[in-house]
Amino acid sequence: MTNNENQTTYVLTEEQALDMLAFLASAAEISLHEPTYYGTFRLIDAASRLMGYLLESNPELAESFMPGWKQDIDTRKVWMMWDRPAYQQFLKEAPAVIAAEIKQRQEAAE
Amino acid sequence: MSEFSPEADAFFQTLKTRRVCRSYTDQPVADAQLRRITEAGRWASSGGNRHIHKFLIVRDAETIRRVRSVAPGMLVEPPAMIVILTDKEAAERECIQLDVDQINQGDVGTAAMNMQNMAHALGLGSCPVTSFSHSGVGVMLGLPDHLEAEWIIMIGHPKPTQRGLGTGAPKPLTARDLTWWDRVGHHDPV
Ligand SMILES: Cc1cc2nc3c(=O)[nH]c(=O)nc-3n(C[C@H](O)[C@H](O)[C@H](O)COP(=O)(O)O)c2cc1C
Repeated sequence: MTNNENQTTYVLTEEQALDMLAFLASAAEISLHEPTYYGTFRLIDAASRLMGYLLESNPELAESFMPGWKQDIDTRKVWMMWDRPAYQQFLKEAPAVIAAEIKQRQEAAE
Repeated sequence: MSEFSPEADAFFQTLKTRRVCRSYTDQPVADAQLRRITEAGRWASSGGNRHIHKFLIVRDAETIRRVRSVAPGMLVEPPAMIVILTDKEAAERECIQLDVDQINQGDVGTAAMNMQNMAHALGLGSCPVTSFSHSGVGVMLGLPDHLEAEWIIMIGHPKPTQRGLGTGAPKPLTARDLTWWDRVGHHDPV
């Protein structure tokens, strides 16, 4: 993590960035033929994977909201396979976690 | 007391208690176990007894990691995996037109199911994966043009996890829900 003026920069290794790109491109391809709700699964899984890489490469994030949110996503994303209503509820709630985080940072910076 | 033989009951229990496993320990899978699992795949029924498939066992962690990058359906990196491949040269020898053939996917499924049940009987966990980029996996595994990856079976020693069932989970599906007797819509009276 480096500080550039007021911005914090998180780092991915080349391997992690390429893996993430490969995942996104492959998810786009298979979304052509998978059931539409799988698209939601790939996106929330992408969020989890990105956090996984960020946590690997930026140890200071261990104290942030990310380990907890990643754990929560990994537990609840698989509900898609056996409990659709609970899965949909989880998706509706998920953005609030990151929204609260962004808002809190903005307020702290003001 | 069951009306069936102990062997039949034990076999049914194996089938019934297998659940997909998406969490594995680091412990490697023994070669003898992988061999036995592929033997179970070999003894699956095969439409027309054609056997146009190959099983590619992959144990190398780096290769598994690379395959996972183009396989969104691989939610974890297992210690081993078996890739079921269609051999297009064998298909051609058997005069099979893969673009219209419907038996091929059935054959992949029967082999995969035998392998998953065998893995479970050996105390291992497994999970089939079909959500992957075929072109991407072909590159990562260095497959020649005549071999097409169909399914990936992840295999490893299961790590216990919380399934975290949500509230309002649907009631378990029973065989009765899926089965009619003699007439459409006529459920088992028992
Ligand atoms: C044809 C087929 C494709 C599947 N593809 C995937 C996959 O890409 N990734 C995955 O994690 N599970 C996959 N599964 C596993 C199913 O999600 C799983 O079998 C289902 O949720 C029922 O769980 P059970 O096998 O434990 O009863 C697949 C299963 C089948 C039969």
